[in-house]
Amino acid sequence: MSRELFKYPFYLISHPFNGFWELKYELNRKASLVSAFVILFLLAITTVLQNQYSGFLVNFVNPNSLNSFMEIVYVLLPVLFWCIANWSLTTLMDGEGKFVEIFISTCFAFFPVVLIQFPWIWLSNLISLQETSFYYFFINLSTIWCVFLLFIGNMTVHQYTPSKTILTMVLSVVAIGFMAFLCLLFFSLVQQIIAFISTIYQEFVLRS
Amino acid sequence: MARMARLPIMARISIHTRKPLILLIACLLGVTAGGSSSDAAETSSSYNYSFWGETVAAPDAYEASGLYDGVSLGTGSFKAPNDLHVAKDGAIYVLDSGNNRVVILDSEFRLVRIVEAFEHDGAPDAFNNPQGLFVTDDNHLYIADTGNQRIVHLDAADKLIRIIDHPQSELLADNFQFQPARLVVDKANRIYAMATGVFDGFMEFSSDGTFTSFIGANRVTFSPSEYLWKMLSTRAQKSQMVMFTPTEFTNLDIDSDGFLYATNGQRSDNVRKLNAQGNDILRKKGYFPPEGDVRFTTTDGPTRLVDVDVTDSDMYSILDSSRGRIFTYNGDGYLMYVFGGLGNQFGEFDTPTAIDRQGDDFLVLDKALGEITLFRTTEYGRTLNEAERSYFSGDEEQAYALYEKTIDMNANLEYAYSGIGKALLRQGEYAEAMKYFKRSEDRNHYSKAFLLYRKQQMREYFPAVMTTLIALAAIVVAWRKYRNLKGRRKVSSIEQRVV
Repeated sequence: MSRELFKYPFYLISHPFNGFWELKYELNRKASLVSAFVILFLLAITTVLQNQYSGFLVNFVNPNSLNSFMEIVYVLLPVLFWCIANWSLTTLMDGEGKFVEIFISTCFAFFPVVLIQFPWIWLSNLISLQETSFYYFFINLSTIWCVFLLFIGNMTVHQYTPSKTILTMVLSVVAIGFMAFLCLLFFSLVQQIIAFISTIYQEFVLRS
Repeated sequence: MARMARLPIMARISIHTRKPLILLIACLLGVTAGGSSSDAAETSSSYNYSFWGETVAAPDAYEASGLYDGVSLGTGSFKAPNDLHVAKDGAIYVLDSGNNRVVILDSEFRLVRIVEAFEHDGAPDAFNNPQGLFVTDDNHLYIADTGNQRIVHLDAADKLIRIIDHPQSELLADNFQFQPARLVVDKANRIYAMATGVFDGFMEFSSDGTFTSFIGANRVTFSPSEYLWKMLSTRAQKSQMVMFTPTEFTNLDIDSDGFLYATNGQRSDNVRKLNAQGNDILRKKGYFPPEGDVRFTTTDGPTRLVDVDVTDSDMYSILDSSRGRIFTYNGDGYLMYVFGGLGNQFGEFDTPTAIDRQGDDFLVLDKALGEITLFRTTEYGRTLNEAERSYFSGDEEQAYALYEKTIDMNANLEYAYSGIGKALLRQGEYAEAMKYFKRSEDRNHYSKAFLLYRKQQMREYFPAVMTTLIALAAIVVAWRKYRNLKGRRKVSSIEQRVV
């Protein structure tokens, strides 16, 4: 069973149509959820290691600004936002996917990114400036593969036509923008309320 | 001292007050907030920009060491002086525009003479609000006599040689007003003049004073929104609008090879090095384009360049009138040092308008105060200048030693590490060179050093690695054969039993 679980992501990224279908209708939900979390975790780890250990020629991150905790947040937050936005939209647009299914398919779609970019963290230390073309080729390949899988995953989970899938994906990105704006607004307001209350408290304390 | 470091401090304050909000934006949009800008140490008053765009502390490369005005020079106070030029022999020519005269000082700031008038066709003639002057190597004096719409050429004894006015050409409109403001003269006595109201570049005059052509026009720049408005407007509205015209140049200088260095009033791409065809050949390999301050507050606005001065070894300095600072770059476009500033203290200016070098010393002319401030190099500035010269002339050993010395005084000078790396690379110390290139974020040279290092390592370890691999392979093959042999025996014995 555990061997199956380990092999499944490899099967899915090479046979996306069957893979996502089985993920939705045939596999054990709990087991695939665990796999999804593992992939997400690996993705976060890859990002952190990439920023820290990529070769000097391809690494343009200011080491002084690196914060592993924030790096992880930068991975988790967009995934979470994407899932929420996608779920909110597809619920209104006759999508058949549940939130868990969206989450699982999204995480599985990121598997090629981990698979390709993780070894390249170390390989990038062994290449010259001319050879960085290979590095960027593989990074782009993993990104395109990931987007393709996201597309197939979304299509399968919601049982959409291809054109409707593209539409929802674009709208999801717009929705993420809205969510980010609302969150900003919310935090800004909360910040001001806290500031207001603390000012009143100070006033009382200093007067008495 | 605190004034000069004002910029990063203000930026930091504004980040502090809105910290939670900015952090949140950073969280949501995936950008890192500000980064920690290195705090300037109490002792250093100058700054430089790191590869990451942070303001980092730097020791002073220049210190104000003298202040001269018209009264102390015994010429009567200057009135709105516009330009100054140091001749090859060190003599200083100050163009006292408001008093319509040229004050000539020797290299020690002693008054030599004052040129107020000259003889023109037997009658005395004078200047009218001249804006620019140039002195050739044989001390011939060229004056852009703006108010009289002419260029006056005097020889070393102040005798008139030529007057250039009313340039005639089919390139010029019939009602063209010739108002030269700045000028330089090359070794072949061609004159390049910057004239007000001319958008086609510098006006080039041949040695006999005839106008030949324009050179090096700025390109027209406009924003997409401006373009959209223009597309949507009617013809009547369009005629009311400002035309899209290239920006005018603000100043120019010429180096010993005859290349023109020009500044314009744009916020970026504001320094040019023009070749004979008028193409920009300025090298911009530095961490940031050579255009003055990288970080500035929106209230202060970007750098506005008013003068440029080029010296030997392709080093050049630009004068920013908005903050009164002088930025010096090397030929590759790396920022070497910054000094000056606006203020009332010694070594600060009100309206700096012209700079020139006297050897390695800087003279800065203040238009409003009518003063010349003399800046002398510090130990650090001298070392860096010399390092730059050695590097430029190809003396890598000397450059190596001098860059090391520079870094001892200023560890923040990132590009100097690259100079050390290049020397190490030549010596065959590849691993060490890589370290230095990494510190100066020089990926190009790092890659070169790395390729050589990789080759070296491969040569060294290839035999050992290959031998081990072959040995391992042989062991594996042998073991498999042995196991197969054993397995087959077992199988055959079972088969035998079955039979």
